[in-house]
Amino acid sequence: MIDTLLFYLDFPFVRYAIIVGTLISLCSSLLGVTLVLKRYSYIGDGLSHVAFGALAIAAVLKVTNNMLIILPITVTVAILLLCRSKDTRVKGDAAIAMVSAGALAIGYLLMNIFSTSGNVAGDVCTTLFGSMSILTLKPTDVYLCIILSAIVLVTFVLFYHKIFAITFDENFARATGVNVNFFNLLIAIIIAVIIVLAMNLVGALLVSALVVFPALSAMRVFKSFFSVTVAAIISVICSLVGILVAILAGTPVGSTIVAMDIVAFLICYLTNFIRNRRV
Amino acid sequence: MYKALSRITIIAILCIFSLSTSSVAAGKVSANHVDIDLTKMSSTMVYSMVFQMVTEPKKFIGKTIKMKGVFSSYQDEETGRRFFGCVIKDALACCSQGLAFETAKVRRYPNDYPDEGASITIVGTFEFEKEEDGIGFPIIKNAKLYK
Repeated sequence: MIDTLLFYLDFPFVRYAIIVGTLISLCSSLLGVTLVLKRYSYIGDGLSHVAFGALAIAAVLKVTNNMLIILPITVTVAILLLCRSKDTRVKGDAAIAMVSAGALAIGYLLMNIFSTSGNVAGDVCTTLFGSMSILTLKPTDVYLCIILSAIVLVTFVLFYHKIFAITFDENFARATGVNVNFFNLLIAIIIAVIIVLAMNLVGALLVSALVVFPALSAMRVFKSFFSVTVAAIISVICSLVGILVAILAGTPVGSTIVAMDIVAFLICYLTNFIRNRRV
Repeated sequence: MYKALSRITIIAILCIFSLSTSSVAAGKVSANHVDIDLTKMSSTMVYSMVFQMVTEPKKFIGKTIKMKGVFSSYQDEETGRRFFGCVIKDALACCSQGLAFETAKVRRYPNDYPDEGASITIVGTFEFEKEEDGIGFPIIKNAKLYK
């Protein structure tokens, strides 16, 4: 098995998948704890559906670099969802559900009506479930992912304390002089970038798992904001193991990674359960 | 902890460094001179490899390929030429792609070929055939066909 793995690692596209997979899982897990604590666990799902709709628009317009369409649309919707006033008529979860289902429906409709490919079902399936996207990356995709991931990581490290503050108590953070609106905007932009990147790894339907599972797993074991670090480690390990299992066993990459995240969650859940029983 | 972190950093640097080496790692040459044996790879790897062959054919020209898939044929109505293909599916079974092939031994269609959808194995040389309009397609030439 090791020989087979080393043989596979000899191919550039496998190395690209590992690099991109590691970076995406690292970035997605960083904001997971924040989103879970802010009760926005489902935003990943909503935004990934928006990204799917944007991808359909890019396909209809025959834009070569579809990132030019997907990223601005997803960022705009993320800002609208996360930075809305609390007094709006459509509340957070309802707004996400509305945008999620609406974007998915419009995206599929556009892909069917203005089909540019002979295999619409295949295109939709690939976008929704990731399929082989991660193993068919070109060097330019990898460089783009490295740049965007670096921006996300640097932003998170620089503003770690402010994000920490607004995660737990927005009113207290505002009282201490933190520009809450600006940092909510920043979180919205970062999460949109992560979602667009993560679509390559696990597909639009499974993006939420990358955001939520590592955070929830870490929060079972650690009760402080340190769980962000643990979530990042869990996420990276699950993605790496998932990618390697997928290429060795011939299983779909996205769902294998999510299966690994579920296993990690169960282990953390059991660890917490056993620890609580001893006390 | 620091040792582990430094190891992870070194691996990450090596991975990033590997980006600059974009040469195709061909399969090891075995006794029967197969450069890339897709029959020994997992379905995920096979799909990814065929994708690479279709999108970046230049890297594979001249290499001996062995692949297992499903037989398919198609006749170009304008030229009358019949194409034969070995088709594979991805792990989700929603997408399929394949490579055209041309047998070394002259065969008559349909008598000397398998039924549509039958499982086949082909071994041949990877080439890129350019058409008059400048567009081309990858094809396995001098192929041996095993039903």
